[in-house]
Amino acid sequence: MSRRLLGLGILLGKRVLWMLLTVWIVFTITWILMRLVPGGPYSAEKKVPPAIQRNLEAQFRMNEPLLVQYGSQLWDALRGDLRLSMKLQDYSVNEVIAQGFPVSAALGIFALTFALFFGTVAGVISAVRRNSFFDYSFMAFATLGIAVPNFVLAGVAILIIVFQWHLLPPAGWGSRDHIWLPALCLAAPYTAYVARLTRAGMLEVLNLDYIRTAYAKGLSPRTVIVKHALRGAILPVVSYIGPAAAGILTGSLILERIFNIPGMGSHFIEAASQRDYTLAMGIVLVSTILVYVMNMLVDISYAVIDPRVKME
Amino acid sequence: MREQAITYGVFAEQPESMPPIFRALFPLLFLALLGVAFVWSIAFEELPPADFAFDNGNEVQTVDPARATGSPENRILNALFEGLLRSLPEPGWEEKYGPDDNVPMTPQPAMADLPEISEDGRVYTYRIKDGRLWSDGSPVTAYDFEWSWMRVLHPESASQYAYQLYYLKGGRAYNTMQLENGDLVEVELADRPNPLQLFPRGTILHGRLKEIRKPKAPVIPEDASEERKNRIEGEWQEKWVYLVEVEEEGKDQPKLRAFSKKPRLSQPLYDGEIEPCMWVLTDFSKTVGVKAVDEKTLVVTLNSATPYFNELVAFYTLYPVHRPTIEKYGSPGWAKPQYLVGNGPFTMEFRRIRDRIRLKKNPKYWDAANVKLNTIDAMAVKSETTSLNLYLDKQIDWATVMPVSTIPKLRKEFGDQFRSAPMLTVYFYRVNTTRPGLRDPRVRRALNLAIDKANICQIITRAGEVPATTFVPPGLAGYESPPGQGFDVEQARKLLAEAGYPNGRGLPVVEILYNDTDAHRTIAERVQQMWRENLGVESRLRGLEWGVYLDAQDKLDYGVARAGWIADYPDPNTFLDLFVSDNPQNQTGWKNARYDELIEGASQESDPEKRLKMLSEAEAILLEEMPIIPFYFYVSKNLVKPYVRGFFNNVQDLHPLTLIEVDKEAKAKALKFGAGEKTAGGAR
Amino acid sequence: MTSNATTIDRSGDSAAEPLTSPAARERYEQLLAEASRIKGVSLWRDAWRRLRRNLAAMASLVLLILIVLLAFFTPLLPLQSPQLQVADDEHIYLPPNLQPVKLPFTAAQVAEFEAETQKLRQQLAQTTDPAKRAEIADEIVAHERRHPFKLWNNLGPLARAMTSARIKLFSDWCIPSICGRDELGRDVLSRICWGARVSLVVGVVATLVSLLIGVSYGAISGYAGGLVDAAMMRVVDVLYSVPFIFVVIFMITVLSEDTIKATLLQYGINQIMIFYVVIGAIYWLTMARVVRGQIISLKHEQFVDAARTIGASGGRIVFRHLVPNVLGVVIVYLTLTIPSVMLFEAFLSFLGLGVQPPDVSWGLLMQDGIKVITPVQVNWWLVLFPGLALATTLFALNFLGDGLRDALDPRMKNR
Repeated sequence: MSRRLLGLGILLGKRVLWMLLTVWIVFTITWILMRLVPGGPYSAEKKVPPAIQRNLEAQFRMNEPLLVQYGSQLWDALRGDLRLSMKLQDYSVNEVIAQGFPVSAALGIFALTFALFFGTVAGVISAVRRNSFFDYSFMAFATLGIAVPNFVLAGVAILIIVFQWHLLPPAGWGSRDHIWLPALCLAAPYTAYVARLTRAGMLEVLNLDYIRTAYAKGLSPRTVIVKHALRGAILPVVSYIGPAAAGILTGSLILERIFNIPGMGSHFIEAASQRDYTLAMGIVLVSTILVYVMNMLVDISYAVIDPRVKME
Repeated sequence: MREQAITYGVFAEQPESMPPIFRALFPLLFLALLGVAFVWSIAFEELPPADFAFDNGNEVQTVDPARATGSPENRILNALFEGLLRSLPEPGWEEKYGPDDNVPMTPQPAMADLPEISEDGRVYTYRIKDGRLWSDGSPVTAYDFEWSWMRVLHPESASQYAYQLYYLKGGRAYNTMQLENGDLVEVELADRPNPLQLFPRGTILHGRLKEIRKPKAPVIPEDASEERKNRIEGEWQEKWVYLVEVEEEGKDQPKLRAFSKKPRLSQPLYDGEIEPCMWVLTDFSKTVGVKAVDEKTLVVTLNSATPYFNELVAFYTLYPVHRPTIEKYGSPGWAKPQYLVGNGPFTMEFRRIRDRIRLKKNPKYWDAANVKLNTIDAMAVKSETTSLNLYLDKQIDWATVMPVSTIPKLRKEFGDQFRSAPMLTVYFYRVNTTRPGLRDPRVRRALNLAIDKANICQIITRAGEVPATTFVPPGLAGYESPPGQGFDVEQARKLLAEAGYPNGRGLPVVEILYNDTDAHRTIAERVQQMWRENLGVESRLRGLEWGVYLDAQDKLDYGVARAGWIADYPDPNTFLDLFVSDNPQNQTGWKNARYDELIEGASQESDPEKRLKMLSEAEAILLEEMPIIPFYFYVSKNLVKPYVRGFFNNVQDLHPLTLIEVDKEAKAKALKFGAGEKTAGGAR
Repeated sequence: MTSNATTIDRSGDSAAEPLTSPAARERYEQLLAEASRIKGVSLWRDAWRRLRRNLAAMASLVLLILIVLLAFFTPLLPLQSPQLQVADDEHIYLPPNLQPVKLPFTAAQVAEFEAETQKLRQQLAQTTDPAKRAEIADEIVAHERRHPFKLWNNLGPLARAMTSARIKLFSDWCIPSICGRDELGRDVLSRICWGARVSLVVGVVATLVSLLIGVSYGAISGYAGGLVDAAMMRVVDVLYSVPFIFVVIFMITVLSEDTIKATLLQYGINQIMIFYVVIGAIYWLTMARVVRGQIISLKHEQFVDAARTIGASGGRIVFRHLVPNVLGVVIVYLTLTIPSVMLFEAFLSFLGLGVQPPDVSWGLLMQDGIKVITPVQVNWWLVLFPGLALATTLFALNFLGDGLRDALDPRMKNR
């Protein structure tokens, strides 16, 4: 037992190291890009007299040689200090991310849960009632969900759900009503994909011998499906959670804009358009870590669930 | 969606897989985790709705009055702070004016009474009234104003609107760091508690400047970037040695001391000790025309009689800020909701970036009894469409922007709710007079004449804007603009040919810069087509985000640039002094000595009639030379719910939140029944 | 290899038959005839047969071909101009309608204009005085700037030729605004068609870029094996976990900074090219992985050994022998990457970071559409039609990709 835990520990350790490497690469790329842009934070904003420019540079620590700047910024970033935002003059990058992250997280978790739950259910029903009306209609919706871009979906949804049926608010954040529409638009393609994966997986599993044995033993269909078949079929879905989470993070960029949601994605787009490089860099780093952690968790859970996976 | 191949990574050596109990538990664990996360994401503490919500445009860049520019900031600052005077309509205005009239506003007592003005109009004495408190209970004093204005003028604050205080004697010199031998100076030593924070400042010494010793001027390479030139210049300035005769306490004779920003580097210039300093500036307390004589008396000395100074005092740059807070938390920390101390009718309860700022009534405000709203939400909404949608969905009670294309319909279907009146605001294009091709005023006039402004007003803006032939909007008492020229393609072509570009041949492509919101792009596209069709002039569009667009204009990095200007105070000077040669807001590269002379002369002129005539003459020069192309004069456009009272139109489109009141019953009723109640009819 | 040969009748065989007898010859001829009828089936043909049976995929293929043809021949179609603003009250935000529309010039006018240009050119050819020549040259340039074809933005030579042909065929008749008009009175149908050109080109070229990088990388990695392979794949793994979208947006923001853009322009790199490279740089990872997998499985085949024995260098083996065998998989992933790329481009244009006006792309059209959805004025046609165009193309590409994947799957052989 302790040997296994040690193994797990070493595994985690190795993964964390790789994460640091990835983050470092991303940091370096974005830092170099940021420095390519001439001018500093406020110095670009108005013609400041030279004396003032020196002051501003000191404040943003841009008066040191480049390598020193790189090192100090990297060190600060590793300690969690992402410095000041260039355009939101009253805030530091950490504060902006601290405000935006819970919002995006809530949206993302809602969407992910919805996708996993409904996708699995739809996929299972499709597989069990193969070639029935359910099957065809679900799969048709699934293809729709995958091919239609999420902002098109959002546009159409707003047209119908908000303005025709007056069911939900068109934008904003702050109450339960505000989360439904963006989350559903965000979840749509992933629900579809999960449904397809589950269906394919179930179909494969349902043909296997041990299922037939289970039926032969007299178990009810529900027990067979949920307790036995699902276990095997769920694997591709679990491994899909990683890319799905990454995709949801990405998809939220546009949807947060359409629905005026103050999440990290919306802050990122604003930062990019306003040339607020420190904030943009901060968010890139945070997202990298996020995606990496998600993937790591998924890999581990995959290994734990699947008896066939040997940890070699 | 790409199917991602799973990387198992490198696992430790392990022949067996996980024991069954793990495998059985794990899915349950996972589901449990997911369930918890899901519940968390739904578990919103629902925000209690505010009494009043409105959309405040883009997220405010800052709530610091000394650094803010822009209308979203204006509204918030007017809620959080208050100046010596405030702009309000005369009492009894509800009876006198109808819902569509412009209600005139005048400066009225706020922190102070209306001032005593000296005979020559140069000295204003304000008396702070009793009972004026900061939100932490401490009293507002004249020292607060003196300190806050010093903060605005201090060069290190890098305040964009510092030039509003150039009316003060010595204000300009202080802000632009002009020094001459023999001036009274203040020296700030390099002993600040935090060198990166301006306040609290280091020790201040007072004295007289004897001499500035400078090392040899550096050679600045021609092709270096703006930034590099600045850096070289800055580094050189840091090596200057200031020789100051410093007043000593208790001694009659001043002592000669040397100061420099980088003493070690400047040592060769002076034999003796050079003390490190942060700044050597003209002595604020002695040379700048604002003095707190005692706690309640502020004496302001101007360069010359300025009839609109009281209106200026009611403008946010001149609002006071709380010194102890700033010195304790530094910039930008002090502006956070939990630390901010203000003297305005509201305080900031919380601020969610790009969502909303919630304002709460300030019980310590002197006039709190008359403030009817308890909580206000200032929503940060970027898109005009979203703003309209929120209004129609009853999430906000007052919409400040809406898509222009919907305005005719809104007028028709929401008559009473659509409040609109002419404004003292002009939409214009700046012309970069330093660009080849645009140097010739004839070219600029031709470009102006070739634009059908009536068409733009009719088709694109559609709210009843008035096409502009002059720069100063109509409606300013006693002022008559010189006649301008309207849409005239023939004349335009002739001028262009005269300038040497017949049919647009040879004229380089004109770059049209604008900030990337909907209507501006549409107008730019229209102008592009008009110039092409009417003159054969080609142009190229460039839409940028607000901050970046401001930069580009400032650096003269454009061909023509869209701009708008709201009157800071109701006087033609607020428009015309923009284009004085050294105004940082000029941003066209245009200089005209006679124009400068006229504006300067007008600011000194005490006879109002003569003064307005001089301004009119200046405007004539402006229209002759055309460094700007005026398009139209704005019309205020607001959507206000019927249960909102205290809202009135005015030429500056200011709507003090202190006067607004919500009929709670009517609002509750409105929120219950159907969506988008429309009120038919409505004038205009 | 399927065989449609029937069992050869050997009943009449007898060892004593001489080979040259007429009976024998006849039998041999029969055999030869039968043998020649046996057609060997290559992978491609096999795949094509399977694809043909997949209705959805075939329908998608046909649809895609139509879309591409439509996009390619857009200048030839009698469409209105995608940038001409008809900015008056009757035309802005016009819903789909069948009002007749004409171009602002006729074929005759174009011919006249061209004739004038010809005249000027002749003048130029005949004058020898350099000052006069410069003057005439200037005049020609100015004249050209007023060409009626300026109604369309920057037509390339092929597009110009097609436009001329269109004018000659249809004169000034245009298809009415069956998809409605936008905020400046521009025709949505023509904007969709011209936008198709941009969206499709970006999709294809960026995918090709990713293909180039991915295939080379994967092939080299797979073939090299050992430490090099491990290292290269490690790089891919690390890059995989980077949320590229964020980095790309960051990159594009930096690269569209004016000073940098100017510097790049000096080297001849314009915004669109940056696009191609940057977008292509995201999608090559999967391609690399897939190709590497294939190469590894092929690397030990005999034909590789054979090539090595005759002295082919590593590079030659990789690129001339292995890669062509990987093409099947590559094509599948190509077809599945194009929609992702197109979607990403639409994404970027939607955010304002992509194609700039007056160029049109589907993403830009979607942005214009969604921006103005409000209950007071539901301009549904601005959202529906571009959305439909985008969704249909993506749909078709996905279906086709799925179909190709099934068709080229070796496990499905002979089924």
